[in-house]
Amino acid sequence: MKVDRFLDFLVTILCWAWFILGFFLFFSWLYLGVALFAKNKEASFQRLNSRFYRVFFYLLRVTALRHKWEIDQEVAAIRSAVIVCNHLSYLDPLLLIALFARHRTIVKTRFFSMPVFGWIIRKSGYFPASGEGRFTKMMLAQMQTMESFFQDGGNLFVFPEGARSRDGRVGDLHKGALKIARLCKAPIYVLQLAQTDKLFPPGRFLFQSRLKNSITLKIIDRIEPDYQEDTPSTAMLEQRLRDAFSVRVP
Amino acid sequence: MNRDVLQKKILTILTEDFEFEQPGLNDNLRDDHGFDSIDAIELLGKIELILGFSLTWEEKEKAMGIRTINDILDYIEVIAASRKP
Repeated sequence: MKVDRFLDFLVTILCWAWFILGFFLFFSWLYLGVALFAKNKEASFQRLNSRFYRVFFYLLRVTALRHKWEIDQEVAAIRSAVIVCNHLSYLDPLLLIALFARHRTIVKTRFFSMPVFGWIIRKSGYFPASGEGRFTKMMLAQMQTMESFFQDGGNLFVFPEGARSRDGRVGDLHKGALKIARLCKAPIYVLQLAQTDKLFPPGRFLFQSRLKNSITLKIIDRIEPDYQEDTPSTAMLEQRLRDAFSVRVP
Repeated sequence: MNRDVLQKKILTILTEDFEFEQPGLNDNLRDDHGFDSIDAIELLGKIELILGFSLTWEEKEKAMGIRTINDILDYIEVIAASRKP
């Protein structure tokens, strides 16, 4: 038991070391270079984010060997879509960033004020969760380029339940992403993520690296409305999403 | 276009496209009908169709502060008047 906790501690420290030292030693200069010289800064920032978290998950995979990762190949192949996923752990958004080189997501507004992280998410073209006050310009700018972002193969991924679910039940769904899908006539993929909370439980500091576990990510529904003929209302899309989440595949 | 015609058009858009139920002219769009900034951007596209021209960045930015249906009507009237030759 004590050995397990010690190993959990080592894995956790290794991951944090990557977050801090890995960023400053290897990635900070790449971000700086991209900020100064890249033609498409936003796409370049997104790719860097994706690479950074790919290394993070590589480290997790090789240190937490008892956790098996089963990521449906069809998920990584999704392009030009709104992706909605259930939310169990802090690892979830990082996993989707790692999977999709070209991505945007919706981030709580308070994160935009954080020193380094705030700069990165602004440059990455992420959406503020609210378009109120000082975020009005940012919201307008992001929405203005949303259609071309989808045309370039980008994915907007969101966790419509907002907070991490502690009991597995479907919470209140945020409709922002569905509205964006409707506005940009984009298909919606519903993903089911399972067991990331076993590896990194909510409210815990340490990864549970020694637990035998299987983390899965799969597509559970594709919503591809005929936007030309019959655009569904946001309420209809929400109901479809709620149905998909309610039938979570075991 | 007079205000009554405009009001009818906006109410039709809000009930049909944004699923408002019994909208009042002074209802708080956000609190009473869950109308958020993404809805506002969608509505701006429809206002452009009504007006027959594209809104400038500044005009769009101004629209994000709108709170009621009466504000929407005022906003459209001011812009329509400012663009008159």
